[in-house]
Amino acid sequence: MVRLWQRIRRIGRVAEPAPERVSLEAGGAPLTKAAAGLAGSVQVRHVDAGSCNGCEIEIGSAFGPVYDVERYGARLVASPRHADALLVTGPVTRNMAEPLRRTYDAVPSPKLVVAVGDCARNCGVFAGAYAVVGAVGDVVPVSVEVPGCPPRPEAIVAAVRELTGR
Amino acid sequence: MSLAGTALGLAMAAAAVATLAAVGSPARVRAAAVGASTAIAGAAGLVAGVAAMAGGGAAAVELPGLLPLSGVAFALDPLGGLFLAVVGGVAVAAAVYGIGYAGHGLDGRAVQASFPLFVAAMLLVPAAATVGTFLVCWELMALTSLLLVVAEHRRRAEVAQAGVWYAVMSHLGFVAILVGLLVFAGHAPDDAFGSLRAVAGQLSPAVGGVVFGATLVGFAAKAGIVPLHAWLPRAHPEAPSHVSAAMSAAMVSLGVYGIVRVGFDLLGGLPGGQRWWWLLVMGLGAVSAVYGILQAAVHTDLKRLLGYSTTENMGLVLVGVGAAGTFAAAGRDVLAGLALAAALLHVINHAAFKSLLFLAAGSVLRATGSRDLDELGGLRAGMPATTALFGLGALAASALPPGTAFVSEWLLVQSLVHGLPASGVATAVTMPVAVAAVALTAGLAVATFVKAFGVGFLAKARSPAAAKARESPATMLAGMGAAAAACVALALFPGVVLPSVGRAVAASGAGSADPVVGGAVSMRLVGVAGSLSPLLLATALLVAVVGVVATLRLVANRYARRVAPLWDCGAGPLTARMEYTATSFAEPLLRVFDDVLQPELDVDVTHHRESRYLVEAVEYRRRVPDRVERRLYRPVLAAARWWGEAGRRLATGSVHRYLGYGFYSVTALLIVLAVTR
Repeated sequence: MVRLWQRIRRIGRVAEPAPERVSLEAGGAPLTKAAAGLAGSVQVRHVDAGSCNGCEIEIGSAFGPVYDVERYGARLVASPRHADALLVTGPVTRNMAEPLRRTYDAVPSPKLVVAVGDCARNCGVFAGAYAVVGAVGDVVPVSVEVPGCPPRPEAIVAAVRELTGR
Repeated sequence: MSLAGTALGLAMAAAAVATLAAVGSPARVRAAAVGASTAIAGAAGLVAGVAAMAGGGAAAVELPGLLPLSGVAFALDPLGGLFLAVVGGVAVAAAVYGIGYAGHGLDGRAVQASFPLFVAAMLLVPAAATVGTFLVCWELMALTSLLLVVAEHRRRAEVAQAGVWYAVMSHLGFVAILVGLLVFAGHAPDDAFGSLRAVAGQLSPAVGGVVFGATLVGFAAKAGIVPLHAWLPRAHPEAPSHVSAAMSAAMVSLGVYGIVRVGFDLLGGLPGGQRWWWLLVMGLGAVSAVYGILQAAVHTDLKRLLGYSTTENMGLVLVGVGAAGTFAAAGRDVLAGLALAAALLHVINHAAFKSLLFLAAGSVLRATGSRDLDELGGLRAGMPATTALFGLGALAASALPPGTAFVSEWLLVQSLVHGLPASGVATAVTMPVAVAAVALTAGLAVATFVKAFGVGFLAKARSPAAAKARESPATMLAGMGAAAAACVALALFPGVVLPSVGRAVAASGAGSADPVVGGAVSMRLVGVAGSLSPLLLATALLVAVVGVVATLRLVANRYARRVAPLWDCGAGPLTARMEYTATSFAEPLLRVFDDVLQPELDVDVTHHRESRYLVEAVEYRRRVPDRVERRLYRPVLAAARWWGEAGRRLATGSVHRYLGYGFYSVTALLIVLAVTR
């Protein structure tokens, strides 16, 4: 045990230094007041509102070992009751509009919503389709948007770092 | 004549009036008349028991002409008085409850007349002073209770089967008691208990062992002790609920009375060699306690669950009785007195909370028509009083501090723990095992009653009948209220009954008098270190709960509050099908105790006609059969059947053949006599 502690102390941190924070949009979006209240630790609940699952793969990648967004203080949780922020993907379909609203209601305040991908921002290629109610912003208030179809993991990491401020 | 004798006489008179009222009065007022008179009989029995425990002189009545040969004699001592008081108290609650419960098909003459007779027989058993009287009262109690068990046999087919089981087992038990007591009485000048006591010192250990063993079998069968418990979880659910309460809380306790009376009192003078009896009693008790509560934990039939819980509690009582006997055989009178006091106090406590639970279960059964916990739930809205009373009973039954069973189980554990320094390998092995068994039982009891109360009464209704349940009439609530008041009083002020229990212990001759000194607030063990104050404990718990709630309120009020709907995964309102059922609640326990319970699982998957890969329906069945019953009773029943089949070959129905049998047997007898003489 002692030897293990000594080893830990001797080696120290071996991770590469974190990349610089890049602002999402040119000029840098100001960190919202709500995000500042979360003090660098953000519990994230992912909601698939009708996505093609392209964004899900990129989210999985962002939380995977390569991009490892958890080191910036974000964590995926299994219930909106535990969450500070919602990560919503896809255009909001008719069947998912009400569940999305309920999920948003179930998140304790203060709460943030990140719209991931072009579909979540403006319905993308599905705009005007019969099954689609609208973009995420039409159903619940959105704080941060991540463009791309699908967005690169770096973009998702940047958006989440926007929330955690780290 | 002393107060005790007068009160017992009054009780008999009231029971007689009730029986006459049942036969003679019109159907409209029958239940009320019978219930009121039976309640008076019970109250008089309670007074008689309390007076006898207070030591108001030995009340003795002899009626030599009442029965041929031996006559009838009654005498009351503190030990009998304790059980008399228990029976009387339970009878009051059950009789008052019975007035309102009698509505559906239970107001016939035979059923109504049987109940006061049953109560009278139970009152007379602990007062009997000769073997003949005792056996007559015991048999009367068995017969009247059998009539009551089969009261609803026209409405449900299972009742008849339960009745057969009960009749056979209680009469086999009766035969065992008969054999034991007659062997004993054969060594005495007459069959009075006093003469038996006097000759006990001259019995050989073998005869003493036969007497004790035979009576133990009979009394254990009555007390529902494993492996003779099979009738209990069958008969209790099928009997009308106030009868279940009287049977489970009062009649079953009389089995314990028999063991204490014969083992400690009548055979008390037998010198040496008794330790194995009490180790056997203790072992049976420990096995019954653990097995009973395990079965209760996995069953979903509310009254069956309570029946198994009776087996558990009688097991705990027998652990105390067995420990008392072991200590007494080792000459440690203080501990023996403590253990027996714990056992007798547990008899009283069990009577209080089990009558309350059975009456509340009957109230649920009457309102919803179902005993299956998986079909109940949500009764809190429709039946608030019953829910509160059942909750109180569940707390009382689950050995947690403000509860009733806690006090007696604490005393029991104290006596077992303090018994450890006692000499001997047997003590060193049995006492820790017994403590472990009591602890395991207490833990499982909590799970069982959380299941019964939480699944049965809280959350949402699982069936339309449960949703439409309405509160029971006032007489039923009054009966439950009386039992609940007894539970609360026993939980908070056990010091009130402890002196009487001490006198009963002294009267049994097992240990020193007053093993526990009970004050108004706290009680202290005599001879060993230990004290407990249930009242202060309950107050402290109450203060802690109020304090925590108030603090939380204060803290919560500092933030803005928002009312949000219950989280339902966004998919719409929660339904009753998403709730925990009694089956699913008990599933982890079933998994842990898989080897002991050996549940039967049946999963039937029906595939779609066009493809094996598509499932049309899945049917899941799970049963938890009583393993002791299957292993022990099936072979015996099969042997009895085989014997009967073999006998049938001899009885063909031909008269000639029967005449031939008679002729040849008489001839054979004459030849035998001619040769031997």
